[in-house]
Amino acid sequence: MIFALHLAALAGYAAAWGFLARAFRTGGGSQESVGWWTAVGAVLVHVLGLAWFVVRYRTFPLVGLGPASSTLALAIALLTLGAAVQQERRPAALFVLPVVVVLMALAVSVGLQPVLLRSAFRGPWFVLHVAMVFVGCAGLVLASAAGAMYVLQFRALKRKRFGSVFRFFPSLDVLDRLNRLGLLVGFPGLTVGLIAGWSWTLTYGRGLALGDPQVAFGVVTWLAYLVAIVARMSPDWRGERAAFVSTGAFVVSVLTFLVLRVVIVGPESVFL
Amino acid sequence: MGLTIVGVNHRTAPIDLRERFHVPPEEIPRAIDRLLGEETVEECALLSTCNRTECYLWATPTGPGEEAAARLLAERAGLEASRVGRYVYRWRDEEAVLHLFRVAAGLDSMVVGEPQIQGQVEDAYRTAREARPGAVGHVLHRLFQSALAAGGRVRSETAVGEGAASVPAAAVQLVLKVFGSLEGRRALVIGAGEMGEAILQGLLDRGVGEAVVASRTLARSRETAGRLGEDRVRAAPYLDVPEELRGVDVVLTSTSAPHPVVTTEALQAARGGEKRELVIVDIALPRDVEPAVGDLPGVFLYNIDDLQAVVNATEEARQAEGREAENLLREDVEAFQGWLLARQAVPLIREIRRSAEEVRAEAMLEALEGIEGLSEADRERILGASRLVVHKLLHAPTVALRELAGEPGGADHLEIARRLFALDGRARDGARIDEGMDEDDDERG
Repeated sequence: MIFALHLAALAGYAAAWGFLARAFRTGGGSQESVGWWTAVGAVLVHVLGLAWFVVRYRTFPLVGLGPASSTLALAIALLTLGAAVQQERRPAALFVLPVVVVLMALAVSVGLQPVLLRSAFRGPWFVLHVAMVFVGCAGLVLASAAGAMYVLQFRALKRKRFGSVFRFFPSLDVLDRLNRLGLLVGFPGLTVGLIAGWSWTLTYGRGLALGDPQVAFGVVTWLAYLVAIVARMSPDWRGERAAFVSTGAFVVSVLTFLVLRVVIVGPESVFL
Repeated sequence: MGLTIVGVNHRTAPIDLRERFHVPPEEIPRAIDRLLGEETVEECALLSTCNRTECYLWATPTGPGEEAAARLLAERAGLEASRVGRYVYRWRDEEAVLHLFRVAAGLDSMVVGEPQIQGQVEDAYRTAREARPGAVGHVLHRLFQSALAAGGRVRSETAVGEGAASVPAAAVQLVLKVFGSLEGRRALVIGAGEMGEAILQGLLDRGVGEAVVASRTLARSRETAGRLGEDRVRAAPYLDVPEELRGVDVVLTSTSAPHPVVTTEALQAARGGEKRELVIVDIALPRDVEPAVGDLPGVFLYNIDDLQAVVNATEEARQAEGREAENLLREDVEAFQGWLLARQAVPLIREIRRSAEEVRAEAMLEALEGIEGLSEADRERILGASRLVVHKLLHAPTVALRELAGEPGGADHLEIARRLFALDGRARDGARIDEGMDEDDDERG
């Protein structure tokens, strides 16, 4: 059932993205709201799937590639849904949903079995650590999606290209606010997550090991975030440049993860 | 009876002729009266806008009503009836339904998807209803309501009405694409032509907090500010433009100056290195703003060609969406046609019931005359039972007839029913049918 619900949620997210892509092509219309409500339906199914996981395995889906990918996908989808209650922000889902779809496809393809956990991977500090890191990642995805859309809309307006981007994307102001929201939610989330993780390692008598791939990933992402926030605050870097930096921060974070996950840690790791 | 539309529009007649075909609102009731004066016209409505004048008739197809409508149009345009044919189109039955649905959805408009037509169709319906009792009966009522619903559906389910379809709307859309909301924003208008005023009005409608008008003369600026509302629009001397440029969010220029009014140096000086967004809409010819201004950080500069490009892009997108909308309308047309056919079953059903009632009454009268000593109460009970039997027997065929009439081939179904119930004058009389049935029963027994 967990697998079936995840498969249904994946199909829902993919369909929602399809509707939004069609709306983008035509410049709006009913496809946008159909896509939006399909995404809402997919989120509900997804929540049910993860709730089933918790009930069945009596553990949170925070560890192991499949369960963790699914939880991260849900965090991203929920943050996007929450942020886009205002209708004008909904087109942002066009850029966020592909990330959600990739994570869900990963979860479904590697399986949703819980990893046998040592006692260290239990307890409130660990849960807080992973949950807040996921919030941080979700914020970064939203901020970077809004940033990328800002850059595209900015260029369409500046270069006077009045096609699909001009028609479908929200205004620069709306995208800028969305970008700020992503950073405002994500950065504190990631900071708390890292602090909780550090506290968690301290309880096991270990310090902050920067050589640890997971720690390295967290720190690099946090630094990328910091650069994005500083860029936003700087008067010389506002607007297009700040949006560009937000998107860059996401790219740096993803590349760091991929390098650490694939090259250094190896496929059998419980990392993510 | 059938639906017919007789009319002219922007595709069939040039504007100078359309003006002559136009029927002013106060004259519509008289025109409707005149068309209803034709014996074959049962219901009638008239829509007259700057782009079309159309008569909607529920009348005998190709009958005198249709010709009367064509004559009415010819008279209004001052043309001979023989010459009006090249401008006038006629739509009948399903095509007429589709035409009105397209009109209500804005698909037949000069600017595809324009929203005003929906209100104009509604006005035409209301005017016809109020013009004369019965002018809008069951059919036109249903037709107009269905058309308005179909138009609403098309607008909500497709993007056919989205985007800016006029130059002032394009300017407002561009400003909104930068700022999102215009609440509390400041606008400066340099020079004040009709177009500039229309754009400023659009910006004020969207919430611009303060606007400054600086025309060549202060008196003219004050005049413009007065027209647009002095609570939010202020007049300023033309010489104050460099000062007024400070802290402004939107600049509209439409002067007739032969040289640039806003130069790169002047704007840089006014902004003092500021990089926040500024939208400049230059609708003057020759241009009022140096093209290099558009390269300044944070500045979005648009001229009249850019605004037209937005309108063209919108038009293209709307045309593409129009094809999707046509498919939606087909569904609605089918639904209306189904209703219309089902409605044509009503007279037949009435006839079947009347015929059955005659048979029942005659048979019961004959039967009750032969029974002696029957009390009045028993007599009523027997008659009531006979009515109930007829009613129950006819219930299922009645329901089936309504359904079948609305399906494809509905007219054939009605004809079959007419023959089955012996309403075509060729059937045998009731006694012979009864005898035949008895014989059949005996043979089977």
